[in-house]
Amino acid sequence: MSEILFQGVSKFYGQEPALHDVTVAFVDGVTTAVVGPSGSGKSTLLQLINGLVRPSSGTVQVHGKPIDYDRLAELRRQIGYAVQGTGLFPHLTVERNITLLARLVGWNTERIRSRAQELMERVDLPWTFATRYPHELSGGQQQRVGLCRAMMLQPLLFLLDEPFGALDPVTRNDIQQEFLRLQQSEPRTIVLVTHDLGEALKLAQRLIVLDRGRIAQHGPGEEVVNAPADEFVRNFFQTQLKA
Amino acid sequence: MRSRTWRRRICLVLAVLMASPGRLPGPEKERPIVIGCKQDVEGTVLAEIMAQLLEDRGFAVDRRFSLGGTLIYFEALKRGSIDVYPEYSGTVEQAILQLPGRVSHAHMRELLGARFKVEMLEFFGFSNTYALAMKRTTAERLGLKRISDLKGHAELRFGFSNEFKNRADGWIGLKQAYRLTAEPVGMEHALTYGAISEGKLDVTDAYSTDGDLKKFDLVLLEDDRHFFPAYLAMPLVRGELNDSAKRLLEQLAGTMTAAELQSLNQSVQEGKSLRDVAAQFLRSKGLLTGERQAAAPEVAERTIDWPFLLRCTLTHVQLTFLGLVAGMAVAIPLGALVYGLGAMSRPVLYVTGILQTIPSIALLAFMIPLFGIGARPAIAALFLYSLLPILNNTVTALVSIDPVLRKVSVGMGLTAWQRLRYIELPLAAPTILVGIKTAAVINIGTATLAAFIGAGGLGEPIVTGLALNDPTLILQGAVPAALLAVITELAFELLQRVVVPRHLLQKHAE
Repeated sequence: MSEILFQGVSKFYGQEPALHDVTVAFVDGVTTAVVGPSGSGKSTLLQLINGLVRPSSGTVQVHGKPIDYDRLAELRRQIGYAVQGTGLFPHLTVERNITLLARLVGWNTERIRSRAQELMERVDLPWTFATRYPHELSGGQQQRVGLCRAMMLQPLLFLLDEPFGALDPVTRNDIQQEFLRLQQSEPRTIVLVTHDLGEALKLAQRLIVLDRGRIAQHGPGEEVVNAPADEFVRNFFQTQLKA
Repeated sequence: MRSRTWRRRICLVLAVLMASPGRLPGPEKERPIVIGCKQDVEGTVLAEIMAQLLEDRGFAVDRRFSLGGTLIYFEALKRGSIDVYPEYSGTVEQAILQLPGRVSHAHMRELLGARFKVEMLEFFGFSNTYALAMKRTTAERLGLKRISDLKGHAELRFGFSNEFKNRADGWIGLKQAYRLTAEPVGMEHALTYGAISEGKLDVTDAYSTDGDLKKFDLVLLEDDRHFFPAYLAMPLVRGELNDSAKRLLEQLAGTMTAAELQSLNQSVQEGKSLRDVAAQFLRSKGLLTGERQAAAPEVAERTIDWPFLLRCTLTHVQLTFLGLVAGMAVAIPLGALVYGLGAMSRPVLYVTGILQTIPSIALLAFMIPLFGIGARPAIAALFLYSLLPILNNTVTALVSIDPVLRKVSVGMGLTAWQRLRYIELPLAAPTILVGIKTAAVINIGTATLAAFIGAGGLGEPIVTGLALNDPTLILQGAVPAALLAVITELAFELLQRVVVPRHLLQKHAE
């Protein structure tokens, strides 16, 4: 049984369909990258999973049951979420940013501290950064803090919305390596939205290619690249790999 | 958490301010007779005479002098916030009852009793009618003796007290009766004589018993068409005032001539103690039994009375502070609520915006029917004035929070309350603080007007100074008020530097 399951999900913004009759089961325990040209519905698909977007029709199941839209906060705490531009809270220190949720759900101090230390260590952030504010960190460091924050409560699901989009190539490569290490030590179901096919192939085992709100192809990364399902997918890969 | 130290600091500031020893006039246990008077010298003299007469016979008296104009007083009397104040027959007829023509005193008494349960006691004996006054030298040079002589002198500059300028029995009727075409400016009465003597004005309204006429060498123009009604002075009292007090006040009937009043007024204007002048008058009429020791004569009237000034300042700070805290207590939660409601935010801001446009003195007057006179209506008005800047800044700050932060805080699973408490309000705090500062500075200015409705504060020396034509006294109120505003501004800067991390001020720059 799949942790994340879409059944006939459509989403309209006014008359415009952002997603059209999407049915898909995400494979558990691996990273699925969602790619496609801008406006193809990548972010909408991601945000349907944590209830930031509600479907116009169809159902989204998470953890085996349809989402209960009256108890979203509870669901979201079990889903790690990181976005482009980090979204760190500027008035909180690094440590507070990472541990905010854990404090609010009532973890004890000891557990909070050891988990935060463990996470920071794993993404190569010295513990001395704990008391700094986000603006005192470089972009790459901020991004690492963002990852730690999303993983604090050990979520089984992890949603990443262009998380490394704003970084320079070197930093980006470092973080991608750390991401892979994290995934190895704590494997989980990850949905990664990216406009960068290279990144998708590097980090994800599976690919979903979106074309104007519909799934053009879904399968293991190698398979999709080697055997594009249609003209659109082939063109998309060609323009992407040339760039 | 950082916000916890922040909260601790705010609490400390609140505690320090709350601990100030100033005392607010509150409701009394056993109610004394409350005497009021308008902010002119004569009103004050008459009120003091009545107060001392009552005290002499064992009544407890509460003096609420210099509150404001006729309508503020009459409103307070009607409502029972005061029991007595000196009034004039012409004012009752024109301004209070708003009768179209001249009526008998008996008819006026009947109307007052039936409509308002208010009584006119017997007249003091003199008439203080309105008159037009000019500098003696100007009047002689132009050969002006009567009001009708003013016709055709388009070069003369007219300046009237606002009350006179807008009353049917004042300028409005006068210009029709004499076919005058001048365009007068309206100003505070206490300033018109000075303006005339400095040659900035030529003609102003005056009262025929005014002690300052001599001092500024002004002459009265004869009312040759008998336009002005008689202004016979008397105590205007609440019908429910006890009879023995009423009878006692009627012992003053017919005891005063216009010449006597002019000299009483002049004595006070020259700086003699109000208490002494009133006591001397009562003694000369044989009205003091001497059962109660007269208060020790006051000396050195015109030096700075530091304890008084300190008391005024503390009251001022307290009025401002209570209005501000009440404003914060309502505006910040309301701002958060309005932000949560989204579409509701505009109308709420419009309503508070309209409150802000009501002139302070009018807003204070509106508060009297609701809260009586004293500190409460003043705090209520200051509270209303605090709302807009704080509410506006709260909503603006919340609305302009970085959408990415909002999305993340929702997406990570914070509830609406947790977002507000841990993310949105802390991020909005610097802007809200600026709103509070704006409200505080506005309130310090507005609170000087609170003296008009008997709340005290630094407006008290200002109002009294205006009535007595005493610039030193005016400055004694104005300078501390200005200093308070500057200190407040600086204190908030400091507070901002201490509680707001610097990087939050430039969070949008990144």
